[in-house]
Amino acid sequence: MSNDSLDPRVNRLKLGDAGAVIKVEEGENWNVYEVFHQEKRGAHHEHVGCVHAPDPQLALVFAKEQFARRKKCVNLWVVRSADILAFDAEDEDMFENNLEKNYRDASGFKVMEKINKFKQSK
Amino acid sequence: MYGGGYIFDEPNGKQLREEKQHDDPEKLAAFEARITRGEKIEPGDWMPAEYRRQLIRLIEQHAHSEIIGALPEGTWITRAPGFKRKLALIAKVQDEIGHGQLLYNAAETLGKSREAMINDLLSGKSKYSNVFNYPAETWADVTVIGFLIDAAAIVNQVANAKGSYGPYCRALERICYEESFHLKQGHDAFIELATGTPVQKQMLQEALNRWWQPIMHFFGPPDKTSQHSEKLMQWKVKMASNDEMRNQFLESYVPKIWELGLTLPDPNLRKDPETGRWQYSDPDWDEFFRVINGGGPCNEERLQVRKWAEEHGRWVRKALMNPQERRALPVA
Amino acid sequence: MNNAALTDLIIKMADDELIQGHRNSEWTGLGPVMEEDIAFSSMAQDKIGHAWALYRILHENLGGQDPDHFAFIRKEKAFKCSHLVEMPNGSYDFSLMRHFLFDHAETVRYESLRESSFEPFQQLSRKFKGELKYHTLHANAFIMQLSQANEESYARMQSALNDTIALAAGIFEPSAEYEEELMVAGVYPGEAALYHRWLDRIYPVLVKASLNLPEMSTVTPVYGGRKGFHTAYLEPLLKEMGEVFNLDTEANW
Repeated sequence: MSNDSLDPRVNRLKLGDAGAVIKVEEGENWNVYEVFHQEKRGAHHEHVGCVHAPDPQLALVFAKEQFARRKKCVNLWVVRSADILAFDAEDEDMFENNLEKNYRDASGFKVMEKINKFKQSK
Repeated sequence: MYGGGYIFDEPNGKQLREEKQHDDPEKLAAFEARITRGEKIEPGDWMPAEYRRQLIRLIEQHAHSEIIGALPEGTWITRAPGFKRKLALIAKVQDEIGHGQLLYNAAETLGKSREAMINDLLSGKSKYSNVFNYPAETWADVTVIGFLIDAAAIVNQVANAKGSYGPYCRALERICYEESFHLKQGHDAFIELATGTPVQKQMLQEALNRWWQPIMHFFGPPDKTSQHSEKLMQWKVKMASNDEMRNQFLESYVPKIWELGLTLPDPNLRKDPETGRWQYSDPDWDEFFRVINGGGPCNEERLQVRKWAEEHGRWVRKALMNPQERRALPVA
Repeated sequence: MNNAALTDLIIKMADDELIQGHRNSEWTGLGPVMEEDIAFSSMAQDKIGHAWALYRILHENLGGQDPDHFAFIRKEKAFKCSHLVEMPNGSYDFSLMRHFLFDHAETVRYESLRESSFEPFQQLSRKFKGELKYHTLHANAFIMQLSQANEESYARMQSALNDTIALAAGIFEPSAEYEEELMVAGVYPGEAALYHRWLDRIYPVLVKASLNLPEMSTVTPVYGGRKGFHTAYLEPLLKEMGEVFNLDTEANW
């Protein structure tokens, strides 16, 4: 079998038996690191995906080619996925009233209205 | 690159009964309402067991298709003619591996490890797109794959990108962006042959004849024979019917083939002026199932090569493993 | 300044890059883990890109053939690559060690060209600087980590170093005919100087990795490639690389 591939690269490999049992051990593809991409100086680092790597150094080396081989990029961060702390999905209700609290928002204050009213009253 | 020819999991009755018991009706209603509103489902969300299982299967098959799909085109990496083609082909095959990486990550957020998925690929338990079980016999085959298989994959992936699972949609967004480069470079190389010397034209026509049936197979069996996809459509796991995608592909690409003076090996292929839909001869669906079940010309080689790669890379992976470290699946 | 001398130097550099890139590209899709597959493939593309840029200089500045014809049709005898790059990939340890040794050699060479009297070299030196920084960062990380990981990986890296060091020293094969002239004209500092700079670069990494660099005075560099004498591996590689292009060398592909 190892001599009739159309791929000359494959013909140079010593292929094993098709029925051979090859198993990858759990953890063999290393740990998971989340990748954050900064498109230009001054911009936030944005989450773009993750890489499997044995340590932060190689995570960064891998992230560079997997997440910055095309797009504009000036820097990357990597952080172990296990170190990310996030709210539970069901805690989404904590954010529900955000938009109603207009005392936190410029649009909640009608300054011009008051000035105009004052001017008219004179 | 991936088509609609995926095989959805058919759970047995016992599994379904058990899952139904676990699927709290209130949560299910909230989940379905979220999808109806057009919101995405994220990894930490509650989801029906059936949704999780079908998504894992779908995304995993898609991921396998990318890394196996790298092999037929990889066949010509060392022989691509000229610097531009050589670099573009290496970059394209590299992208396929990159897509596999993104998709395995997306599937991992649902709880199945990359290692488990690779093992299911190697053991034959998990499938990949059928089209990659065919050989790329000449350079022209590479241009047909790069142009038409990638075009077909885009039809499918653009549809899936509108699906309900956030991590899969995000991966597909990036993938579709890169596929547009694949399609363009494939089309460019295809046109070069179609408008080239008589030898080049003949090479291309022969490749097109070889690939036409696998391309028609690419979107999967006709709708009339596929079962129980209603729920999957409602949950936005499956986004368009096989026939719908096939028609969309024919509509966009048959004219682009014909305009170059090439022919397609189906005398019945034409657009019905009244319905606006494409008509074609049914491809041999027995052949489709035969190939899915291991009977294609390259099934054996594809798995042997993947096994070789896993086996020969093992010492690198094992050496750098750090079992004491705290591990987690991708968060998003 | 004699164009023949410049042409000779550029062909040696470009052929090394092309063949090394070609060899490394054979790993695309077959690497040990997807992330590394992607990284290694990018670096292979960079090498081929460097070769292309050099052949373009030959074509545009020195009256050479167009790059595709020059690279894809030329006879084996006319190639001037070193034996290091011709060797088959072997297993990943060999490929990684070759990458480490080659990329540091390439780096010191392009650094030396920053001040070259041949202006196109200055441009390339600036253009490739960032790429080469990544290549050597990648190579150093792997060499150090694998050498320190476990007994098997340490033994593999040491034996890969033993197998490649004389070949790598052959990158710096001197040229009696042209080198002096190029040095006098300020094109580049000459092979001996680059060889010593290269040793200064690889030595600290190997020490950190606890790998034993053989006493270099006892190592006989493998020469011959620069004069057109090649290993048995180059001819089939070239035949394969040109297989499609040579179906019709006048056609557009």
